[in-house]
Amino acid sequence: MSVWNPENVTDVAESIGIASLNREVVEHLSRDVEYRISEVLTEALKFMRHAKRTTLTTQDVSQALRLLDVEPLYGYESTRPLRFGEASIGPGQPLFYVEDEEVDFEKLINAPLPKVPREISFTAHWLAVEGVQPSIPQNPISTQSNAELATRGPGANSTLAALSGNDSQGVKPPVKHVLSKELQLYFDRVAPAIMDETNEDYRTAAFASLKTDTGIHQLVPYFVQFVANKVTHNLKSIFILLQSMQLVAALLDNPSLYMAPYVPSIVPSVLTCLIGKNLGSSTDAPDTHFALRDFSASLLSATARRYGPTSSTLKPRIARSCLSNLLETNKPLGTHYGAVLGLTFIAGAAGVRSLIVPNLKAYDAHLQRVVQDDSKKKQAEFVVQAIMRALEVLEQDAVPGMQNGHPEGEALKERLVEAIGEVLGTRVFESGRQSLANAVLEKDLAV
Amino acid sequence: MAQPPPPSRTASVGPPNVGGMGAPPASTPGGPGQNSQQNLNQIVLEYLNKKGYNRTEAMLRKESLNVDPNGIPVIGKVADSGGKKWSPSFRLVKNWIEHGLDIYKAELVRLEWPVFVYAFLECVCECFYDEAQAFFNEYKGDFEEERGQELQQLARISLPEHVQENKLAKTYREHQYAVALSSMANATLVEFLEARERDGGSVISTILQNHIKIVPMNRATTARGLQKLMEEKEVENKRGVMWQGEGIPGHYPGSANTDPNASSALSKLALAAMPMDPDLMEDVRADLGQEDSLHPPAPGQNSLVDQFEQNIKQEPQDDAAPNRDAIPFPPSTARDVAMEVQKVRENRDRFRIEGRTGGVGPGLSVTMFTFHNTFDSVNCIEFSGDHTLAAIGTAESYIRVWSLDNRALASPHDPPGFQASSSRRLIGHSGPVYGLSFSPSAAVPEPATNGYTTGASSPDSQPRYMLSCSADSTIRLWSLDTWTNLVVYRSHNSPVWDVRFSPQGHYFVSCSADRTARLWSTPQIAPLRLFVGHDSDVETIAWHPNGAYIFTGSGVGDKTLRVWSVTRGEQVRIFTGHTGNITAVACAPNGHVVASADDKGEIMLWDLRTGQRTKTLKGHGRGGIWSLDWSVESSVLVSGGADKTVRVWDVQPNKETQAKANGESGGGAKIDGSSVGGGGGGAVSKTGGKTKGPVVSPDQISCFQTKKSPVYKVRFTQMNLVMAGGAYLELA
Repeated sequence: MSVWNPENVTDVAESIGIASLNREVVEHLSRDVEYRISEVLTEALKFMRHAKRTTLTTQDVSQALRLLDVEPLYGYESTRPLRFGEASIGPGQPLFYVEDEEVDFEKLINAPLPKVPREISFTAHWLAVEGVQPSIPQNPISTQSNAELATRGPGANSTLAALSGNDSQGVKPPVKHVLSKELQLYFDRVAPAIMDETNEDYRTAAFASLKTDTGIHQLVPYFVQFVANKVTHNLKSIFILLQSMQLVAALLDNPSLYMAPYVPSIVPSVLTCLIGKNLGSSTDAPDTHFALRDFSASLLSATARRYGPTSSTLKPRIARSCLSNLLETNKPLGTHYGAVLGLTFIAGAAGVRSLIVPNLKAYDAHLQRVVQDDSKKKQAEFVVQAIMRALEVLEQDAVPGMQNGHPEGEALKERLVEAIGEVLGTRVFESGRQSLANAVLEKDLAV
Repeated sequence: MAQPPPPSRTASVGPPNVGGMGAPPASTPGGPGQNSQQNLNQIVLEYLNKKGYNRTEAMLRKESLNVDPNGIPVIGKVADSGGKKWSPSFRLVKNWIEHGLDIYKAELVRLEWPVFVYAFLECVCECFYDEAQAFFNEYKGDFEEERGQELQQLARISLPEHVQENKLAKTYREHQYAVALSSMANATLVEFLEARERDGGSVISTILQNHIKIVPMNRATTARGLQKLMEEKEVENKRGVMWQGEGIPGHYPGSANTDPNASSALSKLALAAMPMDPDLMEDVRADLGQEDSLHPPAPGQNSLVDQFEQNIKQEPQDDAAPNRDAIPFPPSTARDVAMEVQKVRENRDRFRIEGRTGGVGPGLSVTMFTFHNTFDSVNCIEFSGDHTLAAIGTAESYIRVWSLDNRALASPHDPPGFQASSSRRLIGHSGPVYGLSFSPSAAVPEPATNGYTTGASSPDSQPRYMLSCSADSTIRLWSLDTWTNLVVYRSHNSPVWDVRFSPQGHYFVSCSADRTARLWSTPQIAPLRLFVGHDSDVETIAWHPNGAYIFTGSGVGDKTLRVWSVTRGEQVRIFTGHTGNITAVACAPNGHVVASADDKGEIMLWDLRTGQRTKTLKGHGRGGIWSLDWSVESSVLVSGGADKTVRVWDVQPNKETQAKANGESGGGAKIDGSSVGGGGGGAVSKTGGKTKGPVVSPDQISCFQTKKSPVYKVRFTQMNLVMAGGAYLELA
């Protein structure tokens, strides 16, 4: 008895004009059909296995047919698993068929193109560190079933299992980051010394130690934490902020420290010092915070330059936050200053061209308003200077020999004003540097 | 005329209506009476006696007894009952084996499978379709666990034509199945079959004679006491112990010599590392000396030169090294020197895994590279030797390469102004890509400045070529400088399943569904060697670290792991024992042990020198272990597979552990759980027996689950960090 229904063979025979078929022949044939089909399936499974899949696709079947020297069935190609509908032709006799969608031709032609599927990409994470699986979102949450995976045996490492949360006892040994007495002492001395406003010798000594000491790697997370703490709670004190930044700079300077893993936690603090809203108290001179911003900007650019290649998202992230701050006109001028600096340093000429220049016209309107206000005029000047510096970067980057075809005199000024706004356009024009003007306009054309 | 009924055992392909009738009637029934019948017999007997045909006479006498008074033969013998004879005969033997002495049971039980298969095939060949099916269904349950895939293939055979055509059936019919029996077991079996000849014993004897090769086994050499047998019986789930030479090839354990008269001595293999080219060695030593003077080793560290000498010297003297002249290589270049230097440096600075420290397995670090948005179209993942590139082969016939450090992959052929991104597509194949292999490379760092290493490797250390193989039965060589296809190698005539660069480069091997593996050298478009012998698809392939041997693993119907000599192109070892398709093979860097994994979730370790299995590692779920790799010291094996785990295994052949585990389960029924990890070997058979999950063998050090990502590739770096690659499957 074959599983394949002999009636099927009779039906096919009738369809090609063989009306009467011996019953034995029919049975013989149906057995053979069954055999052929299972042969195709075996081959198809082989292709599925080598594609490391668990679902059989129509492609596997056509590959199998090709391997068996049979013409493949065309028209069923699909990389996705097929959807099957179920119909009943009698009690307990389900019939499966491929659901074919009816498509209206008119609609299909007029419909907007479907979304482009997402690109294949990859991410890397630690599946295990020294035998312990870290509990990060990329790893599965340890569940009861993990206990079964845990090993029991003389080769098994029970400590590792315990650390992974896989041990059956469910007791987690406390894991502490053990810091030696000496290191603790070192930290306790260095941290206050750096923040000591009264004794400069202490400070320089502390920084010198941080820049050169080879044995303080274990302390790095503590220093990073320290900086983050100080910056969050002492926005009013320019001194503390500046010292914190110098502490970061000293750590980055130390050749024996491997700072790449800490960069993501350092960057927010530095960014705060760069584009923070209100840095320093009202008693400080109104311009002191610009020095802090300058320092932060250079620190940031150094960081980005060194660690940009290892962290693909670092630069875009910094650039994005700078740009969004620049575009918010209700932010204070200090923030704008920092944002322009940050963008110039991080993104270079390409960034100035694509991120700053297109937005200058809109920003100029804001500048004009501020320039009227005497109390802010001086600060505005700083921002204008920063923008000019950014534009100079463009000038250096400009392709020589492209100067032809630009107007001169009033016409040039008009073009400049049109391109980058009243205040800045005039400034560029007044600088009298043809190449600078050209660089600015060139970008305009390019965009 | 009275004729002895013809023996009805062999293929008498007649119409099915003979079923049940057995042999044609000996005489025309209802014809002449009893007297004439007897007279006739008398006449014939006298004639035979006179002519001296003694045996024919005896036969006639014997067989004429089966005729009833009317001259109609009585069907007394099971052997004469046509298609129905198989089932009772098989049951007879099966019952006898299962109720027999325990001491023979473990051996005799191995006979059941081949007898079952040959009985079934005979039955089909004799056109007793329904009986064949009934017979198959009645007994298949016994073999489901060990022989599931073969059963699937056999189940669909229902016509004699299929037997002629089916690959598996053909393999069985054309070869003899080898089973090892000790002389005592063999004698009792023969005795039993002769005694019960009428009840079906003769049927089974015929099968044994025609299709099964019984290899005499000396009980003493296998060192198997009764107690040991009892223990094993418990562990091995009543299926007995598979003799390592059992199966179709029928060979002595490990030996590739299938000639029945061959001696059981194994040929000696040259397993030591390939000696270095003297010129290259000089250059490397000079460079290392220079490196040492530039960067003096830290206290407690070897100098690079010392390390190098140590690496060269450490080979044990009992291993021969392959002859350098036998495998010619192109002259070495500056790049080779730089790579060797880097290998020595990495070897010195590696994370050391010297084995179990204090009885505890080492903790490994694993970096997982997860590929997203793949829609299950990724067939294989490969990492380059310098860890700067990752490549995937897809079902859509293209290959995609990424740089792992986000470096732009530029090509001199790029149009000016082209912004090269960090990934490249290589298009050329016309079928799914199943295997990739980078040419050897080592990450030579950019000269350090100011104490910093940038982490980027200098461009000239990167792999320059990649091989890919595909269902379109071609192998392609790609240049990673220009990102173009350089050569198409055509010779296989079926999908190519895997391709591997030799550890020294220049040569590569490929394996295919056409049951062959082939050796190539990159500058030649025709293969240099054909490795023929597998009875089924060659599924996976690997190199011996010295480049003088290759390993091939095969699929259903063969399930052997074979070792081939590259220089002579012949088999030097066969390993049998896998119960599923072999999906991954990897040889240890020390060159003595090879690990193979199958899709039933078992990993087996084989000793190349003795040709014996040393360990079986269980723990992976079903569905394929896609990749294996060894640590630099050959002390730890890591595996990744379809069950979405990366597992770390202790591979050291620890006699004391084995003994302890056996002692525990054999010595007492109670296990107190006092051993490390609370269980020990005994717990496996006791607690693991009933639980759903797979049994985890005590050699597993750790197991890391991924998040919905089957692991396609695991790789130990030269510094003992594990890299794993997988594709995230949302639906799974």
